[in-house]
Amino acid sequence: MQPERLWFLAAVIIYGIGLLYSIFVWRRGFQKNNWTSYILISIAFIAHTLALTHRGFSLKQCPVNNLYEATTFILWTISLGSLIFGIWPRLRFIGVFTAPLLFCVGVFAMMPGLDPEYGDQPNFINGWSSLHAALIMLGYGAFGLSAITGSMFLTQERNIKLHRASALFSMLPSIQRLEKLITRSLVAGLILLTSGLFIGGVFLDLPDGISFWNDSKVIWSLLVWTFYTGLLIAHIKLDQRGRRYAWLAIFAFFFVIFTFWGTNLLSSIHNPKS
Amino acid sequence: MPIIVIGLSHHSSPVELRERFAFTEAQIIEALYQIKNEGIADEATILSTCNRVEIYAVSDNSDKQDFYQKMTQFLCKFHNVSDQPREALYSFYDSHSIEHLFRVSCGIDSMVLGETEILGQLKQSYQLALTQKATGPKLNRIFQKAFNVAKLIRTKTQIQRGSISISSVAVELAESIFDSLKSQKVLVIGAGDTSEKAARALKSRGASSILVSNRSYEKAMSLAKELDGKAVHFDTWEQEFMAIDIIISSTSAPHYILNKDKLEAMLKQRGNRPLLIVDIAVPRDIDPDCNQVENVYVYNIDDLQTIARQYLNQRKSDLANCEKLITKKRDELLKDLNPHKEKTSFNLSEQRTTTEI
Repeated sequence: MQPERLWFLAAVIIYGIGLLYSIFVWRRGFQKNNWTSYILISIAFIAHTLALTHRGFSLKQCPVNNLYEATTFILWTISLGSLIFGIWPRLRFIGVFTAPLLFCVGVFAMMPGLDPEYGDQPNFINGWSSLHAALIMLGYGAFGLSAITGSMFLTQERNIKLHRASALFSMLPSIQRLEKLITRSLVAGLILLTSGLFIGGVFLDLPDGISFWNDSKVIWSLLVWTFYTGLLIAHIKLDQRGRRYAWLAIFAFFFVIFTFWGTNLLSSIHNPKS
Repeated sequence: MPIIVIGLSHHSSPVELRERFAFTEAQIIEALYQIKNEGIADEATILSTCNRVEIYAVSDNSDKQDFYQKMTQFLCKFHNVSDQPREALYSFYDSHSIEHLFRVSCGIDSMVLGETEILGQLKQSYQLALTQKATGPKLNRIFQKAFNVAKLIRTKTQIQRGSISISSVAVELAESIFDSLKSQKVLVIGAGDTSEKAARALKSRGASSILVSNRSYEKAMSLAKELDGKAVHFDTWEQEFMAIDIIISSTSAPHYILNKDKLEAMLKQRGNRPLLIVDIAVPRDIDPDCNQVENVYVYNIDDLQTIARQYLNQRKSDLANCEKLITKKRDELLKDLNPHKEKTSFNLSEQRTTTEI
């Protein structure tokens, strides 16, 4: 196994430990301001970063060129985002919500078929393609964070609704603050996704005979962009709030995660062998 | 040099007795002067709150009995109390007195377990004694340590976490829903005592806009004035609903003043902003079905009391951890104060009653 994949495997194992700890915390309640999940994510993040940088230096490119790399990059963004959010004591438990996602998607990313060998001469077009892909992956990472804060919202909101004392005992932020975080993550994700799509559309040349408009990945990306834009407009202009808003943020991200690979495999631009 | 604390508290005496021994600030200054001037003790600090009156003193008088007698006689004489209340007065000596101070500073000895107000009062008492030059190296060290222990207990245990009164639970509830109370509008329906307390608690945490509605408009105006709010006629409170984020209701109406259908109709005007309704009326003012409405959170008096009880149980369950920490810190301090003397470990549970000297 390549060293970068070993590093990533180590990160996934630590995320797995984080998942086990999450189950423990869910049962006990989010009461004490403890650092365990934050430290676990931090250690995994180091291994994760080593995996990415190792791959990046070996390719001399931002490592976002196949499904394995794209997935690990999205997960890395989510991991980094949760570490930044976790600096605030009230958001320190975000790792408990992040670890299950990082572990499950990380295990999927380890599938060998997602990371084919490049051969002697990798076919990378130029720096714009790296920037295009990296911005889009960062955008999906931000959408992942909105889904995670959405799940925190649903947990806290349910506890308040059901009059559970754990809502007050817990160290989770207020639901209004969590709703703001969902929005901020969505805005960040949408800006990154828009920038990435813009660069792809304007600065990248297409092979002869191929159009953007019959490529599954492009159509899918525009669909995702439309959905997230619509969600934000509904929130800001039409007062779409609360549980429904949080559920839509979660649903949208799971749609991205579950359809990302399929549309990529069907795309003639992003997966020329197909 | 022996350290002694003598006093009386809510544990040992009723308020009628405590008030006879209470000190004003001016009296504390005078008493401290007399204690030092008359050679009763070398160092002293007086703590006088509604729940306790205590004198912490250090003397080179190694005769414990004599030191105790002088202190109690002084206390009774200062307040012109001729019949010394032996049953009510307690005293602790050396390690026990340090341990007692630590317990007081952490709120473990308070009427409301884990309350934090006492720490501020203790700091004020110490500061007063310090400015009067009534303290010395020993009391300075002991009090500083007590403040450190209180801080440690607050961060390491759950003893001071949570709210155990109805009004503070209501505030905490509001804080778990709203990002900041500063921008939230509060409507108080019914100017009862509990709703007033809850409104005051919300105001103390930043709520700036408070409306008061009551069947008696005069009473509404009076409470609104006290809360820097605005009075609203009882028949027109629904017109203000659009801007309201928190409702505290405590009318004496025999029926619901708000049901689910009425609420849903009113909510259409105000978007999907969260709404907290605290119903502290008995019989209830708000139909419990209102809690089923999305973004609306209805809590009645039982819900608040249940949470307060759970908080109290949580505090009690952490008492043993506090005791352990206090014992550890007390032993550390004793070691520092008497480096050549072998430290003795005391069992807290053996000496919580009045110590006879």
